[in-house]
Formats: sequence, C-alpha cells, structure tokens
Amino acid sequence: MSSHLDLRDVSVSFNGFKALNALNMSVRKGELRCLIGPNGAGKTTALDIICGKVKPSAGTVSFDGTALQDLEEYEIARAGVGRKFQVPSVFRELSVSENFEVARARRTSVLGNLRWNIGNSGRADVERLAELVGLTDQLDRPAAYLSHGQTQWLEIGMLVAQDAELILMDEPTAGMTAQETRKTAELFARLKGKHTLIVVEHDMGFVKAIGDVISVMHMGQMLAEGTAAEVEAHPEVRRAYLGSGGISHA
Amino acid sequence: MPSHVPHSSGLQRLIAQLAPLLIVCAVVFALPVLLNNDFLLNKVARYLVLGILTVSLGMSWGFGGILNLGQAMSFGLGSYAMAMALKLKTVPVHTGASGLPDFMVWNNVQHLPWFWEPFRSLSFAIAAGLIVPALVAAALGWFMFRGRVTGVYVSIITLATMVVINLVIIDQQSYTGGFNGITDLAQLEIFGVAFDAYGRATYYLVAGCVLLSLLVAFAFTRTKAGLIVQAIRDHESRVRYFGYDVALYQIFVFALSAAIAGLAGMLYTVVMEFASPTFLGVQLSLSVVVWCAVGGRQSLVGAFLGAVLVAGMQGALSESAAFLETWTLVMGALFVLVVLFLPKGLAGLAQVVLRWIVQRRHAAGRGVAQGVGQTEGST
Repeated sequence: MSSHLDLRDVSVSFNGFKALNALNMSVRKGELRCLIGPNGAGKTTALDIICGKVKPSAGTVSFDGTALQDLEEYEIARAGVGRKFQVPSVFRELSVSENFEVARARRTSVLGNLRWNIGNSGRADVERLAELVGLTDQLDRPAAYLSHGQTQWLEIGMLVAQDAELILMDEPTAGMTAQETRKTAELFARLKGKHTLIVVEHDMGFVKAIGDVISVMHMGQMLAEGTAAEVEAHPEVRRAYLGSGGISHA
Repeated sequence: MPSHVPHSSGLQRLIAQLAPLLIVCAVVFALPVLLNNDFLLNKVARYLVLGILTVSLGMSWGFGGILNLGQAMSFGLGSYAMAMALKLKTVPVHTGASGLPDFMVWNNVQHLPWFWEPFRSLSFAIAAGLIVPALVAAALGWFMFRGRVTGVYVSIITLATMVVINLVIIDQQSYTGGFNGITDLAQLEIFGVAFDAYGRATYYLVAGCVLLSLLVAFAFTRTKAGLIVQAIRDHESRVRYFGYDVALYQIFVFALSAAIAGLAGMLYTVVMEFASPTFLGVQLSLSVVVWCAVGGRQSLVGAFLGAVLVAGMQGALSESAAFLETWTLVMGALFVLVVLFLPKGLAGLAQVVLRWIVQRRHAAGRGVAQGVGQTEGST
C-alpha cells in the first residue's frame, strides 16, 4: 500500500548543526502517528519541514503525490496540511468565534473573501466546533482572555475547522491538567481515521493512549518505529531515550 | 442562547456597530445649520478631510498592523492630481487658449509635459487621484510584503519613500511648481455645481466623502477579508498556515487605504485651493499617526474624531496668543499621556465608560437579586 505522506532522506542544517540527517518517514492515510525522542532530536524540525516553515537542504517530501518541499507555506496548507504550534498560536484580539471563522479557510483569495459576513452562514459550524473543544460559552470573548489549556483547545479546534487532511500537532497537551489531557486524547481518537495526524508529544501516558504507531527520533534520524510495546523493547531506544525504566517512567 | 435567532442577533450587532458612525456623520451634516460662518465652515471642512486621511491610516495600522509613516504620500499624490486638473482649467484665462500653466511659463517650459496632458479631463484626474496612490502603494507593498518585511522596517521604508517623492516634486519645479506647489487654481465644477472653497457645496461634498469613506472602511472590516487582515495583525504566520496568501491581503489593505488617502488629498486641494509639497511632508504624515493614536486606531470613528478634535485643537492653540510658542509642547504632552494611559485612544475610553454605564444600569435594574446569565444580558 502506497503511503500518504513520505519523507525521503530529508536533511536540514542550521549554521552547521544537522537538525535532520537523512530522515525517512512514511505515514498511511488515517493513521495517528506519534513522534517522540529526546530534546533536540529534530521532532519539531520534522513538522517544520512538512508544513514548509523550514526548507530542506536535501531530500523530498511528498504528500498524496504532491512534492511539498518546493511550495510556499500557504500552498502547502491549501494542499491539505494543517499545523498546530508548540506555543499556542491564536488571534488574541479576535473573539473565539472569529478565530474559528478565520480557520474555516474554504475560500482563500482576497476577492473571494470580500463578501459581507452578516448572514451567519457559518454560525452553526462555529457552534459545533466550539462544542467539540468545550468553548461554547466563550464564543464572544477575545481569545486573549482564555486560559492556557483553553487556548490550546482553541488552536486544536481551529485545525478541525480548517479540515486539513493531514494535521501536525506539536505538543498539544503542554500545560494541560491531567483531566484536560484525557479529554484531548478522546478528541484525537475521534479525529483519527477522518484525518491523518502526526503528534509530537512528551507525555508518555498520552502517547500510549492515542498512538497506533510510535516513531522514535534521535539526532535527526529515525531510530525505531512500532507499537508502544515494540518501541519499549527496542534496545537502542532504551539507551538513547527511555532509560531502563521503560516508557511509563520516561 | 439556543432560543436566539442567530440572524437577528447578527443584525442587531451590525446596527450597534454602525450607530456611532451614523451619529457622527449626522452631526457633520447638521453642522452648517448651526455654524453660520463660511470662514469657520471652511476650517471645519479642512479638519474633516484630515479625518478621512486618518481613517485611512486606521485601516492599515489599526486593522492591518501596518504602520505606514508615509500615509501623507498617498494624500499628496491625490492632492496633486486634483491640482493639475484645476490648474489646466485656468490656462485659457491666464495665458491664452494654447498657453501653459503660469508657473511653466515662468520656468521657460515650451510644451505641456506628456503626463500633464490627460489631466485636461477632470474625470481622468479624479480617477488618477484614487488609482495612482493605490498603485504606488501596491507596488511598494509588493516588494515589502512579498519580502516579509514587517514592523518598524515597514515604517522606515514608507517614510523614506514619501521623502523621496517629496524631494522629486520640489526638485522638478518646472513641471510641479516646486517648493511653491500648484497655486491659483480654478474652482472644481462637477455637473454644473461649482465648489467654492468657502461655499456650502464644498462642505457637503466633504461631508459626503466622510460618510462614504467611513462606510467603505467599515464594510471592509466586516468582510471575511477584513477579518483575515486583523488576524494577520495578531499572528501573521498562523494565518499563512491556514492557506491564505498573507502578502496579497496586506497589499490589498495597503492599497485600499492609499486610495482613501488619495480621495482625502483631492478634497484637500479643493478646500485649500492649492497643492503643496508640505501635503506629503514628514510633519503632516507624523501628525496623522498622533491623531490616529489619540482617537483610537482600532476604531474608524475614533480615528476620525481624533483627527478632527486634535487638528482642531492644534489650529486653535497655534492661533491663540497664550500658546503661540508652546502649542507643539501641549500636543506632544497629549500624545504621551494617551499612549501611556489610553492604549486604545479616546475610543477605548468611550468603550470603558459605556460598559460601566450599562453595568450600573443592569445592577440597578436587578436590584438585590443576582441574575444568572449576567454576562449574556449585556448585549
């Protein structure tokens, strides 16, 4: 079966430091892939390469047969790639519902968006999204007033609104309480299948709860790939990252 | 809120947002009834025009986050477009049917330069007064926003561009009137109506343009494109990863703002009866920023009122004996105070006061009983 997303021998260096060193990775359609690894392993850089924030110095990225590495960021987004950033990135001066409205990027041209917006055509859609991420009673408040966890959820909700085929999540549960993390895991389980997800996470409980396949990165390369049990048993992974205690103690 | 009909609540909000704009415009239109003094009316018209200019800056700065320190460049280009057309109308009277504008004669110019030729048509001049500033801004925006230039660098580039154009105009005296500008103009005449600078017609023309530009700016901010422009102000790269070409949106709002500034420039020529290099000078351009900040850059009506009030005050202070020397100090102090204590300007202050009144009224209406949906009731 041909893969949905394919990274082939991708390398990138910052001032001589090789952040990615001939990285290979393939993800199937509808899969939820977790990306783990020690600090500086290149996880975030791998997401940056896919969404176009960083251009690879060598190698190719193909998504559904489209070569992404030469496209502009907005073209990659139009091709169906959505990205959640590690630092929650929302429009702080806009209301929650306006945040969703911007994320619903059905039309992207300037002239196409020059129509008057009073009919509330998307209001039902926005309310459904707000319910999904638990922000129903915050819809008319500026995003700046949300708590950290709510801001994380708002951005996740915005990615659902964007309806991208491939969603890249960089530490989506950072700063969340245990309860919030559990709710996020439930949400991801619902997105799986309809969307393809790549999730960078440090919270191993979360990874075990949601991940089908776990990819372990180390020093800009793919170290191991497999289910939680397989990865846990992998000797090199234990040495590089997890320590002798196994995944649950990392 | 499920029982609410969403459509009507959107309409109510629209009316609530439009109300301040319409009230202010109503006052502007009613003013000649109260003010029976043509000299004063001309002065007010001048401040109204500066108000339009400030609204145009509010669009790009307050909504788009693009601090254009050269906003007066668009204003000046519009002003010169109108002055060129009105100057050509005086030629038959001043120097004979096949003559040239008087300042060209003094500079020994033999033929009317090619770029003056189309300004024989007033409709061309009016179109040029809108389109030329928009095109110049779009070209400048293309280089800046494609190259992802942001923040203070945009301000420096726009300011520098304006200074260059200003110097070119001063330098090319034989074609532009140089330092003196273009003076001694004919009256604007549209459909048989003559617009004397001190006449009511001119005042109403300006008032109509105030209404028009406020409505256009308001309508734009209400579109999805307007929303995306505000999102770009808040977090540029986030917008990009939703698939929008950020540079195109920035170029659009930059050019639209320049066109409105061009309209203001044309009106300024009509009201002042001349065009001058000072219209695209650094002093005016920076004053616009102050007016916009004082009024509230994220409120169109606020920016407009900020210009009218502060420019009016500047005028009054600079003419009063007590402040003849010190009025710039007073203005500077005002700016510092507003920036320190009212980051959203007078419009922000008005919002706070309004909310306070509404809350007081609610509290009084409910008496001791605490309502459950207190936050919802405030609409």
